[in-house]
Amino acid sequence: MSRLEAKKPSFCRSEPLTSERVRATLSVLKGIVTSCYGPAGRLKQLHNGLGGSVCTTSQSAALLANLPVTHPILKILTTSVQNHVSCFSDGGLFTAILCCNLVENVQRIGLAPTTVIKLNKQLLSLCTSYLKSEACGCRIPVNFSSTQILLCLVRSILTSKPACMLTTKEINHISTLILRAFLLIIPENAQDHIILGKSIIVPLKHQRVIDSTVLPGILIEISEVQLMKILPIKKSDSFKVALFCVSLSGDLSDTGEGNVVVSYGVSLENAVLDQLLNLGRQLVSDHVDLVLCQKVIHPSLKQFLRTHHVIAVDRVGVAVMEPLSKVTGTRPIGSLDSISPSSYGSVKGLCTAKFGLKHFFHLIPNEATVCSLLLCNRNDTAWDELKLTCQTALHALQLTIKEPCVLLGGGCTETHLAAYIRHKTRSKPEGILRDDGCTQTELQLITEAFCSALESLAGSLEHDGGEILTDGKYGHFWSVQADSPSVVNWPDLLSRCGCGLYSSQEELSWSFLRSTRLPFVPQTCLPCEATGSASNLTLDCFTAKLSGLQVAVETANLILDLSYVIEDKN
Amino acid sequence: MAAAGSVRAALQVAEVLETVVSCCLGPEGRQVLCTKPTGEVLLSRDGGRLLKALHLEHPIARMMVACVSSHIRKTGDGAKTFIIFLCHLLRELHAITDKEKDSFFSENIQTHGRHWKNCCQWKFISQALLTFQTQILDYVMDHYLSKHFLSIFSSSTKERPLCRSSLEMLLGAYFCGRVGRNNHNFVSQLMCDYFFKCTACESGFEEVLELVDDCFVELKVGVTGLPVSDSRIIAGLVLPRDFSVYCPADGDIRIVIVTETIQPLFSTFGSEFILNSEAQFRTSQFWITERTKAIMKYLQKQNVKLLLSTVKQPDLVIYCAGLNGISVVECLSSEELSLIQRVTGLAPFVLPQASSQYELSNTAMVKFCKPFILRSKRYVHLGLISTCSFTPHCIVLCGPVQGLVEQHEDALHGAFKMLRQLFKDLDLNYMTQASDQNCTSNPLIYKNSRESNDLPEIVNGSIQRPYQDTVVKNKDELAKTQTYLKAYSNLVVPSVELETNILCSTPTVTLTSVTYQTDATLRCFSPDKARVMDDHEPFIDSNSANSTAENTRREISYENLQVTKNARKGSILPVRYKSLEMCTYQSYCFSSVPAGCVLPVGGNFEILLHYYLLSYAKKCRQSEETMVSMIIANALLGVPKILYKSKKGNYSFPQIYIRALHALQTNQPMISNQTGLESVAGKYQLLTSVLQCLTNILTIDLVINIKRQPQEIYDQDSEEEL
Repeated sequence: MSRLEAKKPSFCRSEPLTSERVRATLSVLKGIVTSCYGPAGRLKQLHNGLGGSVCTTSQSAALLANLPVTHPILKILTTSVQNHVSCFSDGGLFTAILCCNLVENVQRIGLAPTTVIKLNKQLLSLCTSYLKSEACGCRIPVNFSSTQILLCLVRSILTSKPACMLTTKEINHISTLILRAFLLIIPENAQDHIILGKSIIVPLKHQRVIDSTVLPGILIEISEVQLMKILPIKKSDSFKVALFCVSLSGDLSDTGEGNVVVSYGVSLENAVLDQLLNLGRQLVSDHVDLVLCQKVIHPSLKQFLRTHHVIAVDRVGVAVMEPLSKVTGTRPIGSLDSISPSSYGSVKGLCTAKFGLKHFFHLIPNEATVCSLLLCNRNDTAWDELKLTCQTALHALQLTIKEPCVLLGGGCTETHLAAYIRHKTRSKPEGILRDDGCTQTELQLITEAFCSALESLAGSLEHDGGEILTDGKYGHFWSVQADSPSVVNWPDLLSRCGCGLYSSQEELSWSFLRSTRLPFVPQTCLPCEATGSASNLTLDCFTAKLSGLQVAVETANLILDLSYVIEDKN
Repeated sequence: MAAAGSVRAALQVAEVLETVVSCCLGPEGRQVLCTKPTGEVLLSRDGGRLLKALHLEHPIARMMVACVSSHIRKTGDGAKTFIIFLCHLLRELHAITDKEKDSFFSENIQTHGRHWKNCCQWKFISQALLTFQTQILDYVMDHYLSKHFLSIFSSSTKERPLCRSSLEMLLGAYFCGRVGRNNHNFVSQLMCDYFFKCTACESGFEEVLELVDDCFVELKVGVTGLPVSDSRIIAGLVLPRDFSVYCPADGDIRIVIVTETIQPLFSTFGSEFILNSEAQFRTSQFWITERTKAIMKYLQKQNVKLLLSTVKQPDLVIYCAGLNGISVVECLSSEELSLIQRVTGLAPFVLPQASSQYELSNTAMVKFCKPFILRSKRYVHLGLISTCSFTPHCIVLCGPVQGLVEQHEDALHGAFKMLRQLFKDLDLNYMTQASDQNCTSNPLIYKNSRESNDLPEIVNGSIQRPYQDTVVKNKDELAKTQTYLKAYSNLVVPSVELETNILCSTPTVTLTSVTYQTDATLRCFSPDKARVMDDHEPFIDSNSANSTAENTRREISYENLQVTKNARKGSILPVRYKSLEMCTYQSYCFSSVPAGCVLPVGGNFEILLHYYLLSYAKKCRQSEETMVSMIIANALLGVPKILYKSKKGNYSFPQIYIRALHALQTNQPMISNQTGLESVAGKYQLLTSVLQCLTNILTIDLVINIKRQPQEIYDQDSEEEL
């Protein structure tokens, strides 16, 4: 019985950002995300007092998914970051920190929201047009003839996730694997429209990371009992495969809305089984070597097939159906009788393999864009983290194919961008202001807030009390270890900038990031030899970072624009 | 518990609501964050949505919200203005009652008695409001305001070509009030592009608007996690599901729609299938398979390449479709189906009973059908070939959070509703000027000339008869005077019309009434002239300073009120009603605001109507009309006051108001500093909705609070039948 209940009135608050509680919660969230950022980021342990596993992470995807947020404003912030992550995988913490910084900085100024939002938008479009332009000084075009830059990109992503618990050697190993897995899914005969294949991550927990490997084709996990039943595979260079999406268990299919009356003595089971055995006979006569079924195969049919030297594997599940049909070139069969010969496919090789404690059935394709990445790590949480990281890296590589360029990482893009904006707003304020009805002072204030948000974002890469410097030529990011003597010769202390592009051999007039500096013209247009020579760069995915920047500013604008919060208490 | 339903209570409620909605009004408005009970967050500047999200408890507030939502459902715009206007109206009424208390209720009347008396008074006012809404408003709109209207069409020929720049201005202004301020330009541009892309030919845009408004949910795709600037328009229709089977095909593709499973089942609803032997089972299964194959083969022979199904098809059908090179999309919703049917005019495919070879009739063509990937989610993309004036396009709306995407969806949907209203003619009907004049003048005459009520009735009868004979003639005359009225200033009108009236009536009316009539005309003329003189003085006052103008206005309303009081007392009232009846013989005037009428944004409509209502109020002698017109005229200013609240100096409200009044008096065009247009029809409908809501509120005298679980309402009829 339904019960009618009067709705409780909602709770309405005006000017939510001015409240002390909101500020406090925002700064707590900022503290959490900031401390996770970068290779030296601190790990967070999330555990539910009511049970469940403990999650150790420093990734925004895992962190925000498990973090319960109650305040609507924080909810807006976290959902927008999560949506960004689900689109681009990378750059979640970047987005979250930048958004928090912007909100905090702008609030400190206390200008009218209208002006702030207008100017923030102007500055954002300045950033995006600069990053997209050829003259951009923090963008490197990707040359696909060498894997150097792609490998650097993957390595940067792996390094920035300390919760994976990888050593340098392991990072190198995994990065090569990821890159190989990625190259395997690119079709060989590339037309103008590339359809990428799929790399399936196969879990292998409690193994050494070094044991991870990548294989072309598909691995289907089978139990040891099943393995015993599978006869030794005959030597051949081609195996005929039939893939069923319909159940072969002998259950009666949908009989309609009316009743079906079965007379006494009529056994439908036998009838259906007869049908199945007929199907088996047809398969045998068509010389099928391997029968795969998404659902269950009737034991009698299995037995029948085995006696005729046909390998039958059932319960493969819906997830692998698409890759399976791609690998084998079959059309999933939905009929129990009369199979069209065109539905069969083939594989080059079949073998059983043992990785760790698990047995797999390995389908080696003729030429297909599916590969399996066997991923090992010591424990569950570290494996989960590593899996997420691998997915992120694979996604970043895909995005890089679409937009063939990368951004400098390690905080250099942020400091460079801040220097560029400072310079632009100082030298050509008219171009930005146009007819918005804002004054130059307002523009300078907002620019300062925007740039310091970017710079403190870069600054949050440093967690060990070190100092952060920036140079007066390229506007890059340099960090000094803590406890260094105060008056020093900078080149002795510094070695390379954050991204690793420049070394301290040149005189670059360093200064502290926190101190006030004169605006300068950061050198645009990267010299080609610079990108070629440096072998170990820290790089970021271009598309993900650009979109993260846009989402962060848009979300900050949204939050700043709020005048009321109406909470539904039902 | 019962609480008095008073203007005071209503005003308090309205003021609270006003503070909430006024923060989101206009281009300077800000966003409100709502949380749903499920924990999702929603951004909104949509007044209707905000009011609903508040879940108000107060009965009057709930009534207001109900009025607002019914208005929104119809027009798609104006929820915030609704509340603000209502609040100002209540404020004006409240101010009047306060004054009246001083003058009339200072005697020792018991409080309860006073309450009832108050209620009676409100009833009168609400009746006056209704009369205003049905008669005066339309009249003022047609006679005075219409000359200021601009049109969204670039020329007034029959084809009515749409002017793109005016449409852009109209939409720009609409989205200014509905979406975040950094996105409104982008969204309005998107909407404009969409509209023009969907409109194949110049003339069919009404049909397009209707279709888009009805099927908007199916025509948009929301994507979260991308910046708003990634939103775009895609040609064709995007269905939010993947192909069950996809077979690439080139060129024009033939499609069919099915609404049932193609594979025959053992038994249908309400029937029984008796299986007597295993062989029978086998043969029936075999038949089912063969039949399914035959149908799919048939479809393939007919060159069908795409099968759209509203139900889930069995595996066998999918398999056969794949073998025959037919792509399948399953589980279409009924809304999607109706959209496709409206666009292509395609009827569902009826399964042939026998394996007949006749030509398949129910097919349509699509230009392409391919998978479409948005944020790693797969969609079906169909290039439908339209048979109506709507060229199918979809809007992909992106935003960092779902709440923002939803806001943009709502705003776009509302904009289509608003445009749909804009392109309809708005009917205005009211009594003609002449009849009004008669109504207003007659009671005065009677009052002056006679003591008793009996005689005028006789006179009325005698006048009525001859009038009926000359009705046709009279109408013609009126039509002439109507055109005359438009051509010249309104000062000349009353005398001219009165003359025509007399000319019509004199020959047939008896001697006594002739003398009476002439008497009346004389009497009529003198107050008219006096009023004309009156008209100028307050204007000069208002020119001099704003504050003095307000003072005089208040005095006027005060005086009027006293007149009302006087009028209600005594024996004049019934007489006047009689004369009203008598007057109705004169035909109603039917006019209309033509489709596509717009006014510049920024309180232009309100200030114009304010001005003309004031001048009307000064002209009309009936005290109730005057009072109501004054109240509404003053309340109208509430909206522009809030719009210009943050502006300073030359753009502050008093400055703009004075400039506008000056321009109107000197017959100069009003200069608006804002670019943007708004629909006149929308504003008019808003005004009538608010007045209706206010009448509802005023007629309530008691609010009874019931502390009981809400009960289900049983159907009375069914019980009686039992």
